[in-house]
Amino acid sequence: MTPPLSQLTALHAAVIYLIAGIMLSSASQVQARTWTSADGAQSFEGELEAYDPGSGILSVTIDGKTGTFNHAILSVADINYLKSLGEFKREKQRPKPVAKAEASAPSTESNGSSVKPVTANKAPGRSFKVHEQAAQLIDYYCIDCHEDGTEKGNMRFDNLESHSRDGWVDTLNKMQEQIHFGNMPPEDEDQFTEEERSQMLAWLSQELESLNANKLEEKLRTPAYGNYVNHKDLFSGEYKDLKPFTPGRRWLISEFIFDAKINGMLDHYPRQNIDGKQQEVLGDNNRKVNITNPFLLPTHSGVRDYANTGLNGGHLLTMITNGKETANHMMYLVGRNHRYLPSVNEILKREDEHKAILDSREKFLKNFIDRELVDIYGDKNESMLPAFVSVVDPNEQKAKDKDIKIAAFHSAAPGQDELADIFHTMKKVEESGDSDAQLIAKCERAWFYYGLNERKIASRVTFLQNYMEDWRKNIIQHKYEERQKPPVYKQLDTGEMKTIEETILAQREKGDRYIDIIGKCMAVWSAEFKQERVEAGDAPREQVETLIEEMFVKVLERSPTSEEAEQYVDLTESYFDSLGNREGIKKLIQTLMLRSDFAYRHEFGEGQEDAFGRKMLSPRDASYAISYALTDSSPDKELQEAAQSGRLNTREDYQREVVRLLEKRDQYYVIDEAVQRLENTASITNQPIRKLRFFREFFGYPQLLAIFKDNKRFGGDYDQSKARLVTETDRLIEHILQNDKDVFTELLTTEDFYVYHSGDNEAMTASSERIRTIYEYFKDLDWENFEIEDLRKHKEFLAKVEMRGVNVKDLEPKGRRNPIREFKRAMESFTIRLDEGETAAAPYVSFPAHGPYNASTRTGLQLRGPQVAKFFNIKLDNWNYPSVQPAKMEHRKGMLTHPAWLIAHAKNTETDPIHRGKWIQEKLLAGTIPDVPITVDAVVPEDHTKTMRQRLDDKTKQPECWGCHVKMNPLGLPFEMYDDFGRFRTEETLEHPDNLIEERPSKAAPHVDLRDIYKTLPVNPKGKLVGTGDPALDGDVKHAIDLAERLGKSDKVRQSIIRYAFRYFMGRNEFLSDSATLIDADRAYLETGGSFDAVIVSLLTSDSFIYRKSNNP
Amino acid sequence: MNTRRDFLKTSALGAGALTLGSPLRGIAAGTSSTGTPKRFIFIRKSNGLRPAELALPTFSSQEAAKNSKKEAFEVDLDKHELPVWMQSLEQYKSNLTMLHGLSAKMSENGHWSYSSVMGAFKSGRNSLSGIKRATIDFEMAKLFPSPFGHVELSLTGSYSSFRTGIVSGYSAPAAHQRNYCYADPQTAYNELFKSVINPGAVDSDNAMLKFLQNEESFKAEVIGGYEKLKLSNHISSIESIRGRNQKLEAISENIAKHLPELSPIHADGGPNASTPEKQKAMTDILVAALITGLTNVVTYTIDELSTPIKGLPGNEGDQISIHELGHNGGYSGVGADKIRENIRIGHMEQVVTIIEKLKQVPEGSGTMFDNTMIMYFPENAETHHSHGTEAPQIVLSGKNCNLDMAGRYIRLPYHATEGHKTIGNWYTTLLNTHGNPIEHYGDFDLDMARKKLDQAGAIKQLMI
Repeated sequence: MTPPLSQLTALHAAVIYLIAGIMLSSASQVQARTWTSADGAQSFEGELEAYDPGSGILSVTIDGKTGTFNHAILSVADINYLKSLGEFKREKQRPKPVAKAEASAPSTESNGSSVKPVTANKAPGRSFKVHEQAAQLIDYYCIDCHEDGTEKGNMRFDNLESHSRDGWVDTLNKMQEQIHFGNMPPEDEDQFTEEERSQMLAWLSQELESLNANKLEEKLRTPAYGNYVNHKDLFSGEYKDLKPFTPGRRWLISEFIFDAKINGMLDHYPRQNIDGKQQEVLGDNNRKVNITNPFLLPTHSGVRDYANTGLNGGHLLTMITNGKETANHMMYLVGRNHRYLPSVNEILKREDEHKAILDSREKFLKNFIDRELVDIYGDKNESMLPAFVSVVDPNEQKAKDKDIKIAAFHSAAPGQDELADIFHTMKKVEESGDSDAQLIAKCERAWFYYGLNERKIASRVTFLQNYMEDWRKNIIQHKYEERQKPPVYKQLDTGEMKTIEETILAQREKGDRYIDIIGKCMAVWSAEFKQERVEAGDAPREQVETLIEEMFVKVLERSPTSEEAEQYVDLTESYFDSLGNREGIKKLIQTLMLRSDFAYRHEFGEGQEDAFGRKMLSPRDASYAISYALTDSSPDKELQEAAQSGRLNTREDYQREVVRLLEKRDQYYVIDEAVQRLENTASITNQPIRKLRFFREFFGYPQLLAIFKDNKRFGGDYDQSKARLVTETDRLIEHILQNDKDVFTELLTTEDFYVYHSGDNEAMTASSERIRTIYEYFKDLDWENFEIEDLRKHKEFLAKVEMRGVNVKDLEPKGRRNPIREFKRAMESFTIRLDEGETAAAPYVSFPAHGPYNASTRTGLQLRGPQVAKFFNIKLDNWNYPSVQPAKMEHRKGMLTHPAWLIAHAKNTETDPIHRGKWIQEKLLAGTIPDVPITVDAVVPEDHTKTMRQRLDDKTKQPECWGCHVKMNPLGLPFEMYDDFGRFRTEETLEHPDNLIEERPSKAAPHVDLRDIYKTLPVNPKGKLVGTGDPALDGDVKHAIDLAERLGKSDKVRQSIIRYAFRYFMGRNEFLSDSATLIDADRAYLETGGSFDAVIVSLLTSDSFIYRKSNNP
Repeated sequence: MNTRRDFLKTSALGAGALTLGSPLRGIAAGTSSTGTPKRFIFIRKSNGLRPAELALPTFSSQEAAKNSKKEAFEVDLDKHELPVWMQSLEQYKSNLTMLHGLSAKMSENGHWSYSSVMGAFKSGRNSLSGIKRATIDFEMAKLFPSPFGHVELSLTGSYSSFRTGIVSGYSAPAAHQRNYCYADPQTAYNELFKSVINPGAVDSDNAMLKFLQNEESFKAEVIGGYEKLKLSNHISSIESIRGRNQKLEAISENIAKHLPELSPIHADGGPNASTPEKQKAMTDILVAALITGLTNVVTYTIDELSTPIKGLPGNEGDQISIHELGHNGGYSGVGADKIRENIRIGHMEQVVTIIEKLKQVPEGSGTMFDNTMIMYFPENAETHHSHGTEAPQIVLSGKNCNLDMAGRYIRLPYHATEGHKTIGNWYTTLLNTHGNPIEHYGDFDLDMARKKLDQAGAIKQLMI
C-alpha cells in the first residue's frame, strides 16, 4: 500500500531542522581534558571518545573532529589517567526534541513511527533541513526499521539532529545510494511510487550538491557500479532507438600507453628471439634510462582503465623527474643519431663541432702525450716530469694467510675498461725478459706520470700483484691482442698538431703530470670555443621554430598550433638565455612532458553536430582511439595515413582499420613483464595485445602473482611454478582467441588446458621423445652400475642424444664435472617418469642446470616450473605427458576451474567462496552486490573442526548477512571441490597443528609431495544458480563443473561479458542510450558463431565509439 | 588477521591525518605544536647480518647457550661489551638496541630483497607488480611531512664501478611504484640543496611551472563539467609543486647554513673516490637533509651485493666484491670474515657520525638526536644466501624515542614459535607508536599461519 502524499500529517509537512556538531553530555565532561605531549612541549583540549589499554590506542575529539593515536605520545600523567579509566568508550548522545516538535504529536497514521523533530541548534550557523515531502516519505517508508531500537544497517533517522556535517553528508549519501539502486525500501515492504522515488532522489541530490558532497555521480562512473544499469533494459530492445554517444572527454593514459610513448620517444625498440627468429617486441620496457611509471592502473579484476580517472599531484611530481631523465637520454640519442632530432643537432651544431674537435685532441693526447712531449721537448722532457713516488710501501709486509680462499679473478678485476687500459700500458712498457715485478713497476711509473689517481694506481698494482698469472691467461682467452688493440700513433692534421704543440708549450709547467697538461690545454680550448659561440650570437628564430615543431611531434605526436608555436619559441629562447642551449632544450622537453595533453587522450568530437547533438571524432582522434583500443601504441603508419588522407571519416573506414589491426600477426608483444621476469618465462603474443589483455583483466588471474603462498602447503616450489601457471593460462586464452569460435562458451567450458608446455607442439614432442629414446636405449642395461668405460661403449648414441653433463669427447671426471654421476642422475629421473607404462615423459631438467636443456621456451630459454602440474593434481612421477596441447585435464571445465583463476580468487591459506561467488554474480550474471557495510566484521571464524563451508554457513546465514550472501555463497561454494591452490579434492584438509597426522619433509625432488597430512572432512560442492533468467539453467548445481556447463549455455552470461567488453573498449560504464551498441555486438557474436573479433568490430564501429557529445554545462 | 573494519579504520586515519585540526594533527603525528618532528633513518646493508656477528662477547654461558639455541631472552647492554665491530658505539650503549629474533620470510630472500624487506611482501624479483604497498619509510614520512617527504640515497654499483645520478631506488611510495634514488654524493648534493647552490635552475623550474599553469588554466576556461575538473586537478598539482618550491626557498637560509662540504673527488660521480669516502660524503648529505628540514625520513642503501668496495682499511688496494665475500673469497691475504667485519666497522663509523652531528643541533630542550631513530639492518636477512628466519635490527634512538627498548640486547622467540615476531610486527610497532594505529603492516608469515600462531600487531614489549 502506498499512501498519497496528502495523507501524511501536518506535523511532517513542517520543516525539520537537524543540527550538526558534537553535544557533550555530563558524562562526557568527565573525559574532557587538557592533554599534554610526552615531551611536555605542547598541549590541547579534547574529549576522550575511546581507549583500549591493551593496544594503548585512544580516540580524542577536538572541535568536532576525531583522531586516533597511541598513548605513547602523551605525558606520563595522561597515560596514568587513561590507565585509571581502563577500557573506555564514550556513550552516544541522545537527541533532545525542539520545543516546536515537542508540541506536536508524532504520526501514528501509517505505522506509528516518525522522523523525530529537532530539539535545538547546538552549533549555531550549522543547520540542515529535510525537505517537507522528503520528511513525509522517510516517515512512511523508512522510520519503522531505522529508529532507535531497530537501527538496521546502523542507520537511524530519528536522531538526525545529532549529526555533524560529516554525519549528515554520510547519511544522505547512503540514503541516496540505497534508493537509487532500489535496495530500499526492502522488497517485502511498501515501495515508493516512481514520482515519490524521483522526489526523494531529487531532494537528496540537491542537498548533497549544495554541500558539494554528492558521491553517487562519481560512483556511477566507476567500474564497480557498471552493472547498475538494468540488464534487461539494455538488451530488451525497448531503448534501441536512443542515439548512442560517449561524452566528450580526456582519457588519462594507461601505464601501458605511457611506457609505449616513452619507448617511442627514446627509440627503444627491443628485439627477442622468438621461435628462432629475431622479432621486435613491444612492451619490453627494460630501458637504459630510469623512468618511473606514474599512470598505474588499479589491480582489481575486471575493467581497469576508465576514462574518469584524473591526474593528481603524485603523477606530476613523478613526471618532473621523468621529464628530466628522459631529456637527458634524448640528448644522448641526439649525439648518437643525427636523424633522431635534426633541429637539435642544428642548434647545437657549433657546440657539437667544438666538442668533436675537443674530443679528438683529448683522445690524441690521452693516447700519445708521452711521445708528443718527447717530440716537443726532446731531452729536456725528463727533467720537467715530477719526481716519481711509488704507491707501494716497501716496508709494508702483509701477513698473508695461505689457507684463506682467494677471491676469484672476476671478483677482483677492476672492470672491463680498466683491464683494457692496463693491457695497453703493459704493451707499451713491457720489454722482453721483464719479470712480473719489473713489469708492474714500469706500469706504475707510467700511470704515475700520466697522473692517475693514487688509489687507482694502487688498485691496479694490487690486482697485478695478486692475479698476474690469471690475468695473462685472461688476455689470451679473451683475445685482447685482437679485441683491445693498443692505439696506433697517428698525427692529427697539421693545423691541429700546431695548435696542440703551441698550447702545450704555453701551458706546461715543470712538475706537471700528463693529465695536468691535458687538463690545462682542454680548459684553454674550451674557453676559446665558448667565446666563439658567444660572439656568434643566439640561435636564429627559424631554427628554434623548427625545434619546436620537431619536439611537439616527438613528445606530443602532433605539430603545434600557430599560437603554441609562438609561445614555445619565446619560452625556449628564454630557456636558452638562462640555461644555455643544451640545458634549454632539455627544459623544453621537460615542459612538454608536463602538459596535460601528454597525460590525456583527447576525445571531444569535431565538425558539425548531428540532429542529436553529437559530433564524430576527428580523424586524428579516431586514429588514436582505434589504435589504443587494440594496442598500447600510437597509430601505425596506415592509420596515420588514413587519418591524414580523409579515409577515417565513416563507419566503413573504422571497420577497415579495425579489421586490419585484428588480423595483424607480424607484431609481437610482451604480455606481462612481471611474468617474463619470474624464472625467465616467455610471456609473448602476436595477437593485438589489448584483445588478450581484456580477458586477463576480466578473469583477473594474473592477480595470483601477488598472492603469497606457502611451499609446504603447496607440496613443492610454488614460487617457481606460479609464473608458468599464468603464462600457460595466457596461452590457453590466446589459443581460444586464435580459433575465434564460440569464444565465451569455450572459455567457460573447455576441457583442454596447457600444463608445462611451451606452446610449440613439435618442439615439446621432440623433447619428450628424446627422453623416451634415451630411456628405451638404456633401460634394460645395467646402467645403475655403469662405469666410465661402460659409457664409452655407447659413445655413438650419446653423441646423438647429447645428455647434459655427458660429453662423449671427454668422459673423464674432472673437478666438479662427473659424467657418470650426471648420466645416472638423468637416467634415474627418466626412469621415474617412464617406468609405470607411460608412453611419454614430461621434458623437465633432471637436475638444476643453467641454460636450456630438454625443453625450451619459445624465446629459447630453459622451460622451468614443471611443478605447475601439481596444480592439476598431476604427479610428476606418473604423468603420461601430453606433448600436444592444449590437452584434456581431469576434473576441469573452463576458466573458472583453472587453478590460475581459483588461486587468484582465493586467500593465502584458504579458499574464498564469497569472492568467487561475487565474481560470478558481477562478471557473468550482470548482478550487483552492495558494499560490505562498514559495521560488518567480514572474517570467517576459525574452527579447525569444520570445513570452510560449515564455517561460512555459521557466519553468513545469519539473517542480517544472508540477504547479500545468498547472491554469492551458492555460486562460490561449488568451487570447494578445489583447494586454494586450485587442486581438485573430495576431502578438505583441516590444517591445524591439532589435526596433524604426519609431517613430511620440507625439501625433496620435484616429484615428491611435501605436504603434511592432516585430518580431513568430506567436501560438499553443491550450490545453486539463480539469475540467468533461464529456467532450464537456474536451479541446484552439483558442483563447479555442473555450474560451468550451465553458465556456458546462458544468454545472460554472454551478454554480461559483452557489457564488460563494452566498458573495456569504451573506457566507461554503459548508459541506457548504449542499448543499440550492445544489442548489435551481441548479434554480431551470435551471427558469426561466437567470434570475439566480431564483437570488437561491432563495438569499435558503433555510435558509442564514434560519436562524442559535449558535456559542458 | 586484518579485517575489513580495521582496514577502513586505518585508511581513515591515514587519509585523515593530513586533514585533522592542527593541534590534533601535531599530536597524532607525534609532533609538537612547535613543529618538532620525529626523524627516521633506515640504513640497508647487503650480504646479511649473521646471528653470530651480533652475539655479545661477554654473554654468560647461560646467555650464550640461549642465544645459540635462539631462545628468547634479553640483557642490559651496560653490563656487557659490544662485538668488536660495534666498539665505536660503546659510548652510545644507552641509545642502542640490538633487536634479534625478527624474521623476514614474507619478503624476498636469497641474495636480494629489493623493495620487499621494507614492505614485508614478496617483490617478485623486483617486478613492479610485486610491490604491494608503500614501504615503511614512506609510511613514516606520511606521518611526518616535509618538503621532500622522503629522501633515498644509495651506494650501489655494477661490481667494478658505482652507479651515479638519479637511479631506481628500493623504496616504494605506493603499490607498483619504485622510488627514485640519488646514487652518488654529488648528485644528491646538487638535487637536495639546489635551492641554494643552483638558484638559476630553481628559477627556470619555477618559470616552467608558471608557464604550464597559465597554459593549462587557459585550456580549462573553455571546457566545463567533469572534464574541467580533470584540468583543474592538473593545475592544482602544478600549484602545489610551486608551493613546495616556495617552501624550499623559504628555508634556503637554513639550508645554506647547514650545507655540507663536498670534496671535489665526488665530482662527475666520483670515479676515483674510495668507498669509505663515498660513505662519508653520503653521511654528511644525509645529516644535512635532516638538519635543514628538507626531510624527516631518509633511506640509505649503504651497500648492495654489487657495490664495489675500494679503499677499505686493511685492503686499500683491492677492489672487493661483496658478493665474493658472501662466498668466503678473501683478498690480499685477508679472509672474508675479517673484510666483512671491516666493512661493518665502516658502517658503524657512519652511524656514530650521524649521531654526533645530530647531537650538535639543539632542538627543544635537547638535541635533534633526541627525536631520531637510526635503524641499521640487512636487506636480505641473516646471510649471503638467506632464508629470512632471522632479520636483526640495530637501532640507535634518542631519549624521546616512542619505544621502550634502548640499552638492551633483545632476542625474541625464534621463527614459527609461540610469540615470534616478524619485520611486519616491527614496522607495525613503529607505525602504532607514531600515530598510525594500523592493526598489522605487511604480509603474514605463512609458517606462523600454518601453525595457527597469533602474529598480528605491534611488539607490545617494546611499547611504552
